[in-house]
Amino acid sequence: MARIVAGFGVPHTPIFPHFVKRDGPDCEIARLFGAQQQELAATRPDLIVMFDTDHLNTFFLNDLPIFAVGIDDSFKAPNDEPRDVPNYTVKSHAGLAAHIRAAAIGAGYDVGMTQNYSVDHSITVPLHFLTPQMQLPVIPFFISGHLPPLPKAERCHALGQAVARAIESWPENLRVVVIGSGSFSLEVGGPRMAPGRSDGVPDPDWAARVIKLMEQQQIDALIAQSTEHQMLKAGNVGGEILNWIAMLGAIGDRKPNYVAPQMQNGHAYGVWRWN
Amino acid sequence: MSIFAVNYLCREVLRDHAFRAAMKADPAKALAPLDLTGEERSALIAGDVGTLFRMGANGFLMGYLARFEVCGLNVETYNQRMRAVKVDEIGRPVS
Repeated sequence: MARIVAGFGVPHTPIFPHFVKRDGPDCEIARLFGAQQQELAATRPDLIVMFDTDHLNTFFLNDLPIFAVGIDDSFKAPNDEPRDVPNYTVKSHAGLAAHIRAAAIGAGYDVGMTQNYSVDHSITVPLHFLTPQMQLPVIPFFISGHLPPLPKAERCHALGQAVARAIESWPENLRVVVIGSGSFSLEVGGPRMAPGRSDGVPDPDWAARVIKLMEQQQIDALIAQSTEHQMLKAGNVGGEILNWIAMLGAIGDRKPNYVAPQMQNGHAYGVWRWN
Repeated sequence: MSIFAVNYLCREVLRDHAFRAAMKADPAKALAPLDLTGEERSALIAGDVGTLFRMGANGFLMGYLARFEVCGLNVETYNQRMRAVKVDEIGRPVS
């Protein structure tokens, strides 16, 4: 049977590949992603399920699901031209993706789907650093974390649990890593940008609290405090924490190996390994 | 709901390179065939992203206008104009 062997939380800042190309392998971004790349390789994964929020690139305002799964044998990435990111074709697993969707619907989560699709930087940038050969199949699970009304944190956590049950009822012998992609506090292109920049961190205290709650394994408190008001107060992409919360639901109640902050960006790099 | 058209054309600046080039060359001409209100059209041509945000245009979609430097915008002018919009604690514009 398939089983979940690790959880990761990752940022997906679209300019990071450019910064690493410019600044070299010793820069902070390269070191933080490099450490995660090593941890990921050590789990000997066969497949990744990634909870992610699309930035109106896979979906748009004419067709915007709260939850959706990408169901196809592969997908194209990226579709939004982040600097210094090649065009990739990423393998996927249509059978398991369809099974996850069906199981989630059976558990009461009305999950949409997309086929023949592409993804934006929010999936591509983490993969660019973690699996640059694109050797692993990846199943994207999209959670609407940008445009209110946002789904509730407790529902995303329970959805993660349902996805885990789906994975663990799949007959193939697969080692599955679950990833949550996104920031805790970030404003992109909105009025709360920092001066002279294209983004900003409106609520650094919240980002610090999120990291502390994860480190202390206080997931119930994290869920209770991740209200829609708090997520929106943290920035126009503050709802991306829902992807981490869904990942935490999928991996169960565990202590992280580490959650490394990058406070100037309002995000972190987290690793949960036990197997 | 023509604000949808504003949001859509912002993403087309990303996706449709011919439209991007047309917007760089002559925004009024590029926007002429599109179904926009007069207020939306004039705000776009002026690069008045603050007004467009107050009308409901999306922040990170309009960011493409700055990234690809159309309608007289760049990162600096976009930042100044957007930061001039007063918002409440959860980022909604207030008058």
